[in-house]
Amino acid sequence: MGGKRKKGESEGMEGDNDSKNNNKKMKQKSEMLPSSIKNKEKRSAVHAKLKHQKKLEKRKKLKARDASEKRALELGEEPAPKQIPRTIENTREADETVCMPDDEELFVGNDADEFSSILKRDRIPKILITTCRFNSTRGPAFIAELLSVIPNAHYYKRGTYDLKKIVEYANNKEFTSIIVVHTNRREPDALLIIGLPDGPTAHFKLSSLVLRKDIKNHGNPTGHMPELVLNNFTTRLGHRIGRLIQALFPQDPNFRGRRVVTFHNQRDFIFFRHHRYIFETKESKQSDSKGKKAKDAKGDSIAKEKVVARLQECGPRFTLKLVSLQHGTFDTKGGEYEWVHKPEMDTSRRRFFL
Amino acid sequence: MPRTTTVECPGCPPFRALTFDALGLIKVIEARGKEGGVPKVVDRWGDPDASKCVLAASIDDRKTDPLLAVARKSGMVEVLNPLNGELSVTVSNVNSGSTRPEDDAIVGLHLFRRQRLELTSRSCTLLTCTTKGNASIRSVEMTDSSADSVASKTWSVCTSGNISCSQVDGSESYAIFGGKGVEVNMWDLDKCTQIWTAKPPPKNSLGIFTPSWFTSATFLSKDDHRKVVAGTNSHQVRLYDVSAQRRPVISFDFRETSIKAVTEDLDGHTIYIGNGSGDLASVDIRTGKLLGCFLGKCSGSVRSIARHPELPVIASCGLDSYLRIWDIGTRQLLSSVFLKQHLTKVVFDTNFTEEVRHTAADSALHEAQNIGEVQSADETEKLPTKRKKSSKEDRGSRKKASKDKDGSKKLKSKKRSKSLENEFADDA
Repeated sequence: MGGKRKKGESEGMEGDNDSKNNNKKMKQKSEMLPSSIKNKEKRSAVHAKLKHQKKLEKRKKLKARDASEKRALELGEEPAPKQIPRTIENTREADETVCMPDDEELFVGNDADEFSSILKRDRIPKILITTCRFNSTRGPAFIAELLSVIPNAHYYKRGTYDLKKIVEYANNKEFTSIIVVHTNRREPDALLIIGLPDGPTAHFKLSSLVLRKDIKNHGNPTGHMPELVLNNFTTRLGHRIGRLIQALFPQDPNFRGRRVVTFHNQRDFIFFRHHRYIFETKESKQSDSKGKKAKDAKGDSIAKEKVVARLQECGPRFTLKLVSLQHGTFDTKGGEYEWVHKPEMDTSRRRFFL
Repeated sequence: MPRTTTVECPGCPPFRALTFDALGLIKVIEARGKEGGVPKVVDRWGDPDASKCVLAASIDDRKTDPLLAVARKSGMVEVLNPLNGELSVTVSNVNSGSTRPEDDAIVGLHLFRRQRLELTSRSCTLLTCTTKGNASIRSVEMTDSSADSVASKTWSVCTSGNISCSQVDGSESYAIFGGKGVEVNMWDLDKCTQIWTAKPPPKNSLGIFTPSWFTSATFLSKDDHRKVVAGTNSHQVRLYDVSAQRRPVISFDFRETSIKAVTEDLDGHTIYIGNGSGDLASVDIRTGKLLGCFLGKCSGSVRSIARHPELPVIASCGLDSYLRIWDIGTRQLLSSVFLKQHLTKVVFDTNFTEEVRHTAADSALHEAQNIGEVQSADETEKLPTKRKKSSKEDRGSRKKASKDKDGSKKLKSKKRSKSLENEFADDA
């Protein structure tokens, strides 16, 4: 019965296609869509042929474009402007919550929020790191690395304390933030960052964790104060998360240490990287054909030494995704959320919240 | 399930709303145009200052000389003109010099509509209630820039615990208070006596007692002070009947986070509840049945819900800093406005719609021939459980109808609420 139905459907489709083709072009009548061919062998053959043709065409187009660019260069004309690929990020849905630099309310709001005392250096960040109740293998190793990344961080054993009790304790000891590493099946899978004394609480999903020893050619960080790079935190929510992360680190980086911690937001995923960098003066290679040509064209000598920045990753490496942002400190029962991810918000791939 | 929430009737009827936020700003949002007006921020009053964070607000939207009272974090109560934001008087709420305003913040504020005493027109009466339970009624003379506040009555609502919600009923002679560790209690404002307090529900089957923590409360209907709806921190909504018993008549759970806002509808049996994770729903309180949720990408805690007294719309606002306007019949999002700050309160100003509706009413008169339609639409409104099916067919007619049926509806709802009372009495 099923087969019969299928047949009917496919026939219907064929009919549709035919009518469309008729409407469009009469000469393409002989060409039918490979999906409407019922014989699989034939269908795949036609499909492969079509694909091959497309590939050839594309290659031809590329070649033509390169040639025209080359010609334009030779003639001394301006080459055609390079096309910008359309990515999900640059076709992002318009968002009215994106922060604008001329927004007066934003800056007053920043001054009034919970982190302003730390970011104005009135308070020195002091971080308490703890775990969930059961913690083993990768968890402690990850925490050891976090301790080396974040200055003035202290690890406390979780024991059997309630998180609310820990918040109270940390408040008394004048900590400014608490980080809780949650482990599931011996693998860290969530991160909770609590701002003290009065919130907010951010809950992140943690994924693709790579520890330092698993990174090839990794470096070992020094004890200098790291520099902090926060990328692409554009909306109000993103701005707030950015400030929450910023408040974990001291606001006076030691540039001598050449140590940089990056939180890069891309499509609502926050990528964490930790690097050491160095500026090296390097002799530019003469064999570089492109450089030579440019030199010939311009006719003067470019400095043979150029400065190159080299990076060495120190680890760890992980990705965060925001699950919820809670107003106030940790309180699952009576807490108010500033932002919770709900499935009905995912209406489009091009809609981002950070 | 479709992932997209399409707005079937885009735009919203003309309204004017005021929102109050964490930086002490008051923003005026207006939607103009008869059909499909897009609400916009038309005015902003006050300078952003975190110490002036608005904690409570109350509006008296009379046709002439309306007033707006705003309680700020610094312990000041300001009385403004809601039409142009002109500050008429400022009252300090610091009762005793020993407590700082931060420790004893104002949680409840009510601006009395009727003139309680025989006073000149340039005066107003305020009820304030603080976290520690210090309630006071004072009348303020607005003679000059200096305010003469006569604290007529001051009393303490509770001895321990924190008050987190207070509400005054429609006749303005009773008030309810509730909070953390404080059961809902009702006070007679004329005599300043407590006339009723609730009783906590018994221990559950495991012998666990949930300490009382009320986060929001409201009177169920305007002309009846005996029925009270309260939302608790343990995500329960309870209906109390003062005339019947001290324990709740109906109590049901809503979702997982604490109830943060409860608002009654005009029909006297529908309530709107908002919770800490941004869920908004309407419930028929007679049965405790969920009528439906208001879906629309609402991601932050709902702090305040306001029902428009005439139009079938509600407004909600909260920590996601959006003001959202919803249609109550279809539960569709009509529009949303991004207001940049954590919002604490929203109120409607009905006089604005009056102005516009003078012209709208004229045109509505010409359309008065389809009275039959109007009545059918009225009936669909009255049957909330069956609304879903019929409302779709009648939507077109209802839009027209909603404007000129108000008068007749009010009468009907009054009758209805009376019959409701009987029902409740029977239940009890």
